Amino acid sequence: MTKNIIDINAICHTFADGYIGLKNISVSISKGEFIILAGKNGSGKTTFLRHLNGLLLPDSGVIFVKGLDVSKHLVQTRKTVGMVFQDADTQIVGDTVFDEVAFGLENLKVKRAEINKKVTLILEDLNLFHLKDRSPSTLSGGEKRKLAIAGILVMDPEVIVFDEPFSNLDYPGTIQVLSTIIDLNRSGHTIIIATHDVETVICEATRIIMMEDGQIKKDGTPDCIVKHLESFGVRQPCSSKFGMGLQPWLS
Amino acid sequence: MLHLLDVRCKFLMMCLVSMSMLSAQVFACFFYFLVLLFFFKKTGLNIFATLNSIKYFILFLFFIFAARALALKGDSLFSFYGLSVTKQGLNDGFLVAFRFFLVMLTGLLFSSTTKPSSVKSAVQWFLKPVPFVPEKRVAVMISLSLSFMPVILKQAKEVSEAQKARCGDLQKNPIKRIIRLVLPLLKKTFLSADYLVLAMESRCYSDDRTDPEFTPSGKEFFFFAGSVVLSLSLVCL
Amino acid sequence: MNNSKQLKMTVYTSLFVAFIAIGAFISIPIGPVPIVLQNMFVLLAAIILGPVWGLACVAIYLLIGLAGLPVFAGGTSGIGKLFGPTGGYLLGYLPCVFVTAGISKGLGKKMSSDIIAMVIGSLIIYAAGVPWLKVVTAMTYGKALAVGMYPFLIGDVLKIIAAAFIAKTLRPVIKL
Repeated sequence: MTKNIIDINAICHTFADGYIGLKNISVSISKGEFIILAGKNGSGKTTFLRHLNGLLLPDSGVIFVKGLDVSKHLVQTRKTVGMVFQDADTQIVGDTVFDEVAFGLENLKVKRAEINKKVTLILEDLNLFHLKDRSPSTLSGGEKRKLAIAGILVMDPEVIVFDEPFSNLDYPGTIQVLSTIIDLNRSGHTIIIATHDVETVICEATRIIMMEDGQIKKDGTPDCIVKHLESFGVRQPCSSKFGMGLQPWLS
Repeated sequence: MLHLLDVRCKFLMMCLVSMSMLSAQVFACFFYFLVLLFFFKKTGLNIFATLNSIKYFILFLFFIFAARALALKGDSLFSFYGLSVTKQGLNDGFLVAFRFFLVMLTGLLFSSTTKPSSVKSAVQWFLKPVPFVPEKRVAVMISLSLSFMPVILKQAKEVSEAQKARCGDLQKNPIKRIIRLVLPLLKKTFLSADYLVLAMESRCYSDDRTDPEFTPSGKEFFFFAGSVVLSLSLVCL
Repeated sequence: MNNSKQLKMTVYTSLFVAFIAIGAFISIPIGPVPIVLQNMFVLLAAIILGPVWGLACVAIYLLIGLAGLPVFAGGTSGIGKLFGPTGGYLLGYLPCVFVTAGISKGLGKKMSSDIIAMVIGSLIIYAAGVPWLKVVTAMTYGKALAVGMYPFLIGDVLKIIAAAFIAKTLRPVIKL
């Protein structure tokens, strides 16, 4: 196959109730990209993301992750593509921060000693180690979101997919999560972020994919796409609106 | 000290001592009460705060005491309205209430020196030899329900506040009040449970998982022997 | 049963364990005796989860409490509570959930069959709880009933009617 980490070939998905989720989507994603998947609510972003992780399987067409067919290599896919869900509260499984991060590794039956080593390393990396015995429900919004990232990161994914990572976060929380995502991208992870609010991340992105009605409408660099955002129901960043180009959100 | 003890050992000790309490006499109970006080002091737990947290249970014990004192037949000490308080009843009521009280305190000592997650690991370990019980899934279910609880409580508060804000407390029909509190709560949490299912699937959930780890402090044998001796002496005294 | 369905039931059952535990703390003040919602959640677990998962649900709840996590009424737990004066009611949840789920399933998950199932289920809880209370407190049966059953009956009727409505609305939402 190619050197692309994800290859999507003409996938369609229709839900059981007849609602069409995705119409004939083909796209390739190469290693190290930082992609924003933009579009208004109901445009098919979440449906698309769930295909990347094998949570939904296409009715027709194929997805290859690292050259392997997703529908036949679910575990392999889920190890390569980590997924951070929109609502951090609902994806927490463990009753302490440490257990929560260890969950994925326990599923893969990794040895206990190695789990302890890896979890400690990740928690230290993300600056969460001092919270390791706390109950996740007592953390702040930003910390919860970072915990969700840690739970994915511990499985060594190469691609990390975020569904609305900044929703419901206050300003410090957004900063925490954004800088974590930027660091991940710099360390070689491929990042895909689905959002209808592009302002926070547009400056870091290498590519924007616009979705509407389950189809990809535009695909290109942020500079090319930014002027078209509003015709698809996504707000154009302030700085660009006022003719100042794209300004980084983190100062 | 108790904090560091292997949770499995602690659990067995708690069961052993609690069982032996059921046949302990008054003197043995007082003796064990002193032992418990010693451990409460040692672990730095505030006994009054602990008692406060079980105040309803204590009220219940008074009720048992009174019920027994009135119900048992024997030498009447005094009587009123046709009910007579007997000597045997008083003794017996006191003993039964005292035993329950001590078993309760033992349980509190255990739970306040043990992390919920290690309790979960211990349950998994003890269930292992039980046939037809998928102990690993049980352990996952325990941690799931523990992490659901604070979320549900928070949502229950939100739901009831949202209704108060719209004068929902004027509703007098109790059936409607129950439905209006519980239905949104259940709907909301089941919806988020669907997300949790997805999140677990995306993290490769399987029943075949790594075993929990236990960290013995090395003093288990000493403590366990101690609790055997204690139990025996409680039964014999 | 495929993997995904099983995982879904695992999560839903854990959710009901949490609801039963929290039911001991949520009360609706009506009249002199506040209505505690715990037994309603046990009945709901029965008619929504079915006999097998329902039984697992109550068993795990009791196990958590027995193992010392604070999930019983009043934030207490442990052997003391389970074998204490009100322990019979707690242990009665086990046969209750199984029988209720069985009847509701057998009669075909209609509102009327749910109500019959829940009435029988509630009676099972008292059948386990009241004799237990009698033995521990050495009261006569008359007194044990007067203290441990009669004051709660009105609340139970209200809860069963509410639970039947809730189950009816919830079933299509959670599609089991």
